[in-house]
Amino acid sequence: MASHLATDRSKTLLRVPGWRWPLAPVLALALGLFGFVLRRAPAAVAGTPWEAALDWLPALGLSLHLRLDSLSLIFALLITGIGALVVAYSMPYMQGEQGLGRYYASLTLFMLAMFGLVMAGNLLLLFVFWELTSISSYLLIGFRHEEAESQEAALQALLVTGAGGLAMLAGIVLIGQVYGSFDLGVILAEPTRLRAHPLYGWALGLILAGAFTKSAQFPFHFWLPKAMVAPTPVSAYLHSATMVKAGIYLLARLSPLLGGSIAWQATLTTAGGLTMLLGAWQALRQHDLKGILAYTTISTLGMMVALLGLGTAEASQAALVTLVAHALYKGALFLVAGAVDHETGTRDVRLLGGFWAYGPALGLVAALAALSMAGLPPTLGFVAKELGYSAALEWSEQAIASGGLALLVLAANACNVALAVVLGYRVFFGEPGGPWPRKPHGMPWLLVLPGLLLAGASWLVGILPGLLDGAVERAVGLVLPGAHAGHLALWHGWSLPLALSMVTLASGAGLYALWRRRPPAPCGEPRLSALAAYRWLVYRALPGAASGLTRTLQNGSLRFYIMVILASTVLVAGGTLVRSGLLSRGSLSSEAYAWPELLMTALLVAAALGVVLAPTRLGAILSLGAVGSMVTLLYVRFRAPDLALTQLLIEALTVILLLQVFHYLPPGFEEHVRPRRAALEIAVAASVGLLMAGLVLMANGVQFAPPIARYYLEQSAPLAHGHNVVNVILVDFRGYDTLGEITVLATAAIGVYALLRVRRRKA
Amino acid sequence: MLILLAVVIGVLFATGVYLLFRRSTVRLIIGLALLGHAANLFLFTMGGIRPGIVPIVGAGPVEQMVDPVPQALILTAIVIGFGIQAFVLILSYRAHEEVGTDDLDQMKSTDVT
Amino acid sequence: MTLHLVLPVALPLAGAILCLAFYRVARVQRAIALSSCAGLVLYLAGVLWPLLNGAGYATLRIGNWPAPYGIVLAVDLLSAIMLSLAAVVGLAVLVYALAWFRREPEEPLLYPLYLILLMGLNGAFLTGDVFNLYVFFEIMLVSSFGLMALGGERGQIEGTIKYLAISQLSSALFLLGAGLLYGLAGTLNMADLARKLAASGATPYTAIAALLFLGAFGIKAAVFPLFFWLPASYHTAKTPVTAILGGLLTKVGIYALCRLYTLLFPVHWAAQRSLFLGIAALTMVVGVLGAVAQGDIKRLLSFHIISQIGYLIMGLGLSSTLAMAATLYFMVHIVLVKTGLFLIAGIAEQVTGTTDLYAMGGLLRRRPFLACLFLITAMSLAGLPPLSGFYAKLGLVIAGLQSQEYWVVAVALGVSMLTLFSMVKIWTQAFMKKATTAAGAKEQLRPGLYVAAVGLAALALVAAVGAGPIYGVAQRASQQLFDSSAYLVAVLGR
Repeated sequence: MASHLATDRSKTLLRVPGWRWPLAPVLALALGLFGFVLRRAPAAVAGTPWEAALDWLPALGLSLHLRLDSLSLIFALLITGIGALVVAYSMPYMQGEQGLGRYYASLTLFMLAMFGLVMAGNLLLLFVFWELTSISSYLLIGFRHEEAESQEAALQALLVTGAGGLAMLAGIVLIGQVYGSFDLGVILAEPTRLRAHPLYGWALGLILAGAFTKSAQFPFHFWLPKAMVAPTPVSAYLHSATMVKAGIYLLARLSPLLGGSIAWQATLTTAGGLTMLLGAWQALRQHDLKGILAYTTISTLGMMVALLGLGTAEASQAALVTLVAHALYKGALFLVAGAVDHETGTRDVRLLGGFWAYGPALGLVAALAALSMAGLPPTLGFVAKELGYSAALEWSEQAIASGGLALLVLAANACNVALAVVLGYRVFFGEPGGPWPRKPHGMPWLLVLPGLLLAGASWLVGILPGLLDGAVERAVGLVLPGAHAGHLALWHGWSLPLALSMVTLASGAGLYALWRRRPPAPCGEPRLSALAAYRWLVYRALPGAASGLTRTLQNGSLRFYIMVILASTVLVAGGTLVRSGLLSRGSLSSEAYAWPELLMTALLVAAALGVVLAPTRLGAILSLGAVGSMVTLLYVRFRAPDLALTQLLIEALTVILLLQVFHYLPPGFEEHVRPRRAALEIAVAASVGLLMAGLVLMANGVQFAPPIARYYLEQSAPLAHGHNVVNVILVDFRGYDTLGEITVLATAAIGVYALLRVRRRKA
Repeated sequence: MLILLAVVIGVLFATGVYLLFRRSTVRLIIGLALLGHAANLFLFTMGGIRPGIVPIVGAGPVEQMVDPVPQALILTAIVIGFGIQAFVLILSYRAHEEVGTDDLDQMKSTDVT
Repeated sequence: MTLHLVLPVALPLAGAILCLAFYRVARVQRAIALSSCAGLVLYLAGVLWPLLNGAGYATLRIGNWPAPYGIVLAVDLLSAIMLSLAAVVGLAVLVYALAWFRREPEEPLLYPLYLILLMGLNGAFLTGDVFNLYVFFEIMLVSSFGLMALGGERGQIEGTIKYLAISQLSSALFLLGAGLLYGLAGTLNMADLARKLAASGATPYTAIAALLFLGAFGIKAAVFPLFFWLPASYHTAKTPVTAILGGLLTKVGIYALCRLYTLLFPVHWAAQRSLFLGIAALTMVVGVLGAVAQGDIKRLLSFHIISQIGYLIMGLGLSSTLAMAATLYFMVHIVLVKTGLFLIAGIAEQVTGTTDLYAMGGLLRRRPFLACLFLITAMSLAGLPPLSGFYAKLGLVIAGLQSQEYWVVAVALGVSMLTLFSMVKIWTQAFMKKATTAAGAKEQLRPGLYVAAVGLAALALVAAVGAGPIYGVAQRASQQLFDSSAYLVAVLGR
């Protein structure tokens, strides 16, 4: 027995499961960035942030400006620290899966993008990183890409956050317009300028769209639970500790600009409050561990948003501390859930229980984290909760408002307590509800250690809140310029918040008892919800509208296409012509018409009508020949001999060609046109004709400058040594055109040859 | 005289466009040919319609000569138009070979959504 | 006299003629085609750009006839940007087509047609004469007809007929506009026209001429409601042809609109702003909804061409220096990314044997490198930072909000969301989901396919990383367009 244990331990200690050498640079990067941030932390806390800038795209105002101030500091430490731990955790967890290169690449991309987001000193740069997090999140959620569920969930996350992102972009550009620059330093120096500007409402709404979609606020929250199909390290990192907090970061960062108005306060507290309660309620009805974790995350995000909306120093302090506490304990709990899933093959809380026997270390991690989640001293969760209560109570002068808010927060926290008991106690000490798909067989230590570090950190900072004090205080000053919050401490004396905490614990315990008696049953999705609306929009409305429109417009009928094109051209051009009033300046000259011209015109019109009315195609072809001949005569009449000659030749060739091809064609068919369509066709044709005739009349006699023809007429003989001016123009003055003309002819010949001679061998 | 030309151009455009709406490819091609005539005549009128003499050096005083530039342009346009016309004729012949008819209503297969 | 300015036209033409001469020797043809395209790239990088960096303009009088009596080639920064795009993409797609069509019966005719297409493109970018622009447009069109029908399958024939018929409408409108301008101002040289039209002030005559050109180039650029030909025809061609047509041809229409509106119709440009912005918004929406409805990857990408054109029209419509600079950067971005996406779609087509998204699958597992390439280009198209599409759309958004055109910006952002949605659809169906067996799949792909796709993806990355310098060039080009006095001096000499 002892030797057996010895071999086991040696196996797990000497070789790290899942290790690959390309992971070294990734870990080095994460740890390196963590160290970088840590080294510059004192400067940031002191109020002299680290900065670096490179003017990259001055045309649009996008400069690569990075800065590490206190607010960025808090986020950056979480991002890089948790990132390193998640990479380490992924090694045993993802061992054996396909496409790990893609996984780690996307994870690294995400980490860098999130890091850049919080360090960005230029709003456009922030947006670039914002979208990069959406993209990497898409790639990570869709990691198991052959499963339809993953595809759908990834698409949902991408569309919701992407749409919000685009709205946010519009808001950012508006802000940039108001300030004349996208640089955060410039913008935050004059925070009140935006609030006074007429575009304030739009900017606020658009930025909130981005923040709310990213941070899963109601009604944009539905993508987050679906995103739980991602591998658990991804869920821990992106969808609880970092990416979903990006919206919170944005709200905090832009709060000097956007905050302080009724709209800000009302929207944030309402949306945040709704989300907080909705998330808590839904969490109680989940039976998947990750589902519970997802919905409680949504709830806590809602709480943070509501706190930021309150606009007081205590509230902002509470929001920031909650953020850190949540990242630490939730990350740890996700890692625990992943480890349990990895070992037993299930995440169903109705089946799990008594896992302590298989992973006592993991149980310890879970207990530590759950205690922080429930908000017991001396954890950071407790500090956060106390701050939350005091912020709610001191928010408004009216006792009803403050009291009501505090009660709502209490309700949410009570749910948290109940679920903390489920996660920390029930999974490990309760009775298993059913058989597990897999038998646990020894937990790799690397699945436990990261969680232990996170949970331990939440206890450490809880016991010594002074560690966080300076950074948070400075950060509060950034969120609300000029505001000061009190120091962080575990014990503030016997106070109302402490009483509320005790009430929370009691009610939480009660809730747990109720939960145990009626375990959650899976229920279908309600018909009237944001998710249903999304589903309808993306899977029914959009494809329906798209195919309907396309089938109507692109219906295959060449006649329809030509009609639309001509009708629109006539409408636009004709409309302009009519509106310009030029037609009234008709230049109907009174010169006498000679009979040759009248005769030619009459014959031409007759021939043209003959082409249209000819019952057979042969008749049409012959009438076409007649038209051509008449046109030739016109050219002769108006002193264009070369033109007439060419026209005659070409006409002859055309008719011959037509007759030749006609020989091979199938027999003709009668075309029956419905009177309505015939009327439409005649109308369009007639209007085209009228428009052109009108143009001819209108342009007659108008000349802005004498034509250049004079030069050709005068210089043909002396310079170009030719007497036929038209020929000289073709061959010399504008010989380049003739080169083109010949090329066209030759190319047409090649095309004809290709059509006739080149056929693929039919398979 | 301009009125007459305007009438001719208008009629040619109208008949050409009307033929574009027909189902038979041959009529379509004839319609394109008519449109070509019409556009050329339009170009022609832009040179100014007035009595004059041929633009050949030695035929008379330069001031009375008609504008040679539109003539050159139309020549180019005619030849280009002919090249394209030859191509489209062979195209309709091949269409008949592939589709079996010259009915455009049978040629909607590329647009099915 | 900068005689070398005619090289972008002469080199492909000579190449095409030689390719025809060596019709039976495919190996020689390939060498000729490659060297022509490579020569173009080298010329632009080595000769033209250094010249422009110093002087800002380069002109050449064909036949040494003084402007405006002869045809003048005039290159400013806008032309240079377009020429560079055509050269680079032309080379990349040629390498791709070489691998795709190798030993197919169409191959000998591909090269002459392809080179003439490039000749037409370059000629359009170089010319300073309105009728010459028309001629080179026709060269481009005729060669594109030939290329599209190359292969002779039923879908191709049908598509080409529709494309041709509607292109003829565009040509007719172009002729009418050019004729009208000659009738009004008596000249065809763009600089001379600019001078004469400016002297006459804003008149309804020039407004109508501008609208005729808007119609002609609008059809060419596939804006709403003139776009129908594109989804009916582009996807039917063989994939390398779709790539070169889809990447470049519609952009020539935008180029022509840029050129004519800034030079000839600056007054009407500002007056027609709501028309431009309305068209832009509708184009963006109809294009992207069309893409969302598609299940075939080539049709999907074809609809996206239309949607992205909407952005370019929006940039044009905003008519400010920042908007124009953003439009030019957008042009660079979209040409590279769009063509790259088509090339990647072609590779996917060969690997899976189909272009139907619902029949594809498993490419992420089978071809992870291709997946990586797709991610880069698709995310760039969707406008996700830090790729080039983001800077392009950001520029337009900033310009739009500066001009207080809020609705168009909202539409642009919404369409961006839908673009992302449809790119994710491709990613999910073709790459993420499990593979389904399909016939006609190839296991071994010719390396040329990947070389071209990687090249364009790399350039797209360069466009992203180098957004700063490219925006700098775009801003200089934009300033040149807004102040055309230097152009007039360069071309007319006074």
